[in-house]
Amino acid sequence: MKPLAQSKGEIPSAQHEGTAVNATSISGRPEPAMPAPAMDAGAPCRLDEQALARLRELDPDGRHGVMSRVLSTFEASLLRLLVQLTEAGERADGAAVAALAHTMKSSSASVGALALSELCTSAERSLRAGTAQDLPALVRGLSAEVQQVLAAVRAMLRA
Amino acid sequence: MTPPHSFADDNLPAQPEVLLVDDDEVNLLLTALALRDRGFRVTEVDSGERALERLAEWTPDVVVLDAMMPGLDGFATCRALRSMSGFENIPVLMLTGLDDDASIARAYQAGATDFFVKATQWGLLAGRLQYLLRASRTRIELERSKAKLARAQDLARMGSFDWRRIEGGLAMSAEGLRVFGHGPTDRMTLRSLLRMVPKDGRRTLMRHLHEVLRDSSVLKRDVPIMLFDGRERIIHVEAEPEFNEHGHSTGYTGIVQDVTDRRVAEDRIRHLANFDALTGLPNRRQLIWRAERALEHARRLQHQFALLLIDLDRFKIINDTLGHAAGDELLMEVARRLRGCVRHSDQVLDVAMEAAGARSHRVLEAVGRLGGDEFVALLPEVGDDRDAERVAQRVLEVMREPIFVSGQECFVTASVGVAIYPRDGTTVLDLMRNSDVAMYSVKAQGKNAAAIYGPQLAGQGREKLELETALHKAIERDELVLHYQPKVDVRTAKMVGAEALMRWQRGDRLVMPGDFIPLAEETGLIVPLSEWALREAARQARAWQQSFGFADAIAVNLPSRLFERSDLIEHIHHCVTSVGVPHRVIMLEITEGQLMKDLQNVIPALHRLNEIGVEIAIDDFGTGYSSLAYLTTLPISELKIDIQFVRDLGHTPQSSAVVSAIIALARSLGLRVIAEGVENLRQMEVLHRLGCAIMQGYLFSRPIPPDEIERWLEQTVLPRKAPWIGQAGALEFGTDAARAAGARPY
Repeated sequence: MKPLAQSKGEIPSAQHEGTAVNATSISGRPEPAMPAPAMDAGAPCRLDEQALARLRELDPDGRHGVMSRVLSTFEASLLRLLVQLTEAGERADGAAVAALAHTMKSSSASVGALALSELCTSAERSLRAGTAQDLPALVRGLSAEVQQVLAAVRAMLRA
Repeated sequence: MTPPHSFADDNLPAQPEVLLVDDDEVNLLLTALALRDRGFRVTEVDSGERALERLAEWTPDVVVLDAMMPGLDGFATCRALRSMSGFENIPVLMLTGLDDDASIARAYQAGATDFFVKATQWGLLAGRLQYLLRASRTRIELERSKAKLARAQDLARMGSFDWRRIEGGLAMSAEGLRVFGHGPTDRMTLRSLLRMVPKDGRRTLMRHLHEVLRDSSVLKRDVPIMLFDGRERIIHVEAEPEFNEHGHSTGYTGIVQDVTDRRVAEDRIRHLANFDALTGLPNRRQLIWRAERALEHARRLQHQFALLLIDLDRFKIINDTLGHAAGDELLMEVARRLRGCVRHSDQVLDVAMEAAGARSHRVLEAVGRLGGDEFVALLPEVGDDRDAERVAQRVLEVMREPIFVSGQECFVTASVGVAIYPRDGTTVLDLMRNSDVAMYSVKAQGKNAAAIYGPQLAGQGREKLELETALHKAIERDELVLHYQPKVDVRTAKMVGAEALMRWQRGDRLVMPGDFIPLAEETGLIVPLSEWALREAARQARAWQQSFGFADAIAVNLPSRLFERSDLIEHIHHCVTSVGVPHRVIMLEITEGQLMKDLQNVIPALHRLNEIGVEIAIDDFGTGYSSLAYLTTLPISELKIDIQFVRDLGHTPQSSAVVSAIIALARSLGLRVIAEGVENLRQMEVLHRLGCAIMQGYLFSRPIPPDEIERWLEQTVLPRKAPWIGQAGALEFGTDAARAAGARPY
């Protein structure tokens, strides 16, 4: 995986592949304002157990570190997409938002972030159908869910 | 044990190579992991552009494309790779989102082989890829075998077609169109096809097609057609009916093949098998086939039919003197004439037989060639013997005209034997044999005539046949023996040579040469017989040389045809050298009659024989009409006075006049003279007085087996006990005294 391009100030950290380190501690910057209900609720994982089980099957004895590779890739991908999502929202570019939702839809399903996947599905569908009323709100909703998943993924990586 | 994901049993690459294209890193990673886990070799790229770059230098077994990608998406990538050469048929799997019907349709439009809805069930994806690979392999093989089939059909001038009863009509493959002389884009209908069939065949074909369609039966038929360029071809059509689920015939599927060459070859083979190549007449096989049909017909309709065996009388002489080419020419002319003697039908087809109805056996009438100079006339219906005789006379008649071959006028006659069904035989074999018996009886009575078979002839023929067969085997069974008659010089009472005479020890019976030599001459067996005699005589000379110092010659009788053989000298040479005796121990006797008949052909051999030391005696001298002029130049050594003059000596003055003339002639030519058939002392006395001292006859000894010759020498000659010995000593010495000189123990 390539290092993520650092762009807007809102994005707090850039992470390198395979590093299961807290982004905050590396960057030394303040973490973005984000509600973290999942975290303080003793991290009730947002990732679907069944999906995780399927991932584990790919590397049953964990010899190849598949789980951590997948999760860190996912994390990096989400961070990149989050940047692109924010930009698209600012440009009010619905098509770009739909394409990003499409991409996140399947990868999040693969990793078990089912809520995010569903959110992406409905966002993509309404955007493509032209029924989306409030793009900024939609982008905000998506961003918020992405943040939640990111937190869950980081928790998993730390574990 | 094969691992569950092995591809080995699918006849697929052990590790199929997959190009995986997805912009989403997570999916890319997960899909790659899953596929690797299942035995694929995965190359991952994250965009359509990268994918095309890779494909420019490498060909995977299968491409997996994510449909939605920024930049070049899956559809555009698929379209682009399909236009690259070599990727027209590569399997491409398009990954689409769930419920994305539009993408599925677009995937196919873009040229994807199949689509797969993205899911986290990796096993399904791997299974789908295996299926795609297998299908692709099958498709490649199918393309190959289709190409092979097309080529094979083209070589076999074969094509396939479909015909639908309702819509569609006739659909002919490109190869099939070519069979009919059409280009691959031409259209053909059943109607246009039928128009290519010549009118006379079209009606029967139509009728046949209607019947086949009505019964939904198999169509299998050779159809003669005429191409647009006027060439005639024979097309073999073979088709099977097809049925729908209700069992109704929906049409036909089948092949067409140009079988013209095969048919022409078949016809040619049939003709070669049934007709004589030289004369064009039916051959033995065809004749027998016709005779069998004629016999069936005659039996059913209770009438007679006749078989005439025609054998040329002097053909062999013509063949031998004028050469084979002339012989062939003559046979062709004879065939042409014989053909005119009957209502000859050249072709007999089963259809012709059917079509002709009750008189159908008439088409069997023909003259055919059995082989060599033997012909057969088959008369499928005769009222009585006279019908057959009339035809036989016509045959003799047409031969009377001279035949010109090689610029020469030849006269050929024929001997005809007739056998009539049912009287002279109830099988074709019997009829053939009995016509042969009748023909031989004609030959025996002077040839150039016809005879109808009769039971009185049968014995002769059969006996002769048996004799011939037995004689064939006589040599190999060692049944032949030579007996020897001594030649005696009466002045010294000594043996001065011996004549070898052939006997046939047939079972317990000793057959005399008069009973088998003529047959041997007729059949040509005389050649091996004579060669055997030479071999045996040389062997005997050697045996006698060892047992009692024999140093004279054994005379062997040879027919003139042997002298014409180029290998005679070589054969004699071989006979004497193999037993280690000089050439002069063999002396050859040829009768005056034979010598004069074939003089020109025999002379060169006589000279050569003389050169190697083999002496020649003229047998039966005085009976033929020797040209005295020839006698002076011929390289001969001895004249043998014929037995009839010797027998009459002392009874008729003429005979002693002839004998003394012969003796005088011999003396003037410097030849030995010897008298045969001397039976009593009186003959001996007269001969001696006339100047002939060497004799042969019962007075001295009959022809006896070789071991008896030794006994005769020991018990009669040496003790000087025989009556002729005392007598001989009392005689005056003749002029041949010098020749008889030399003290030998016998």
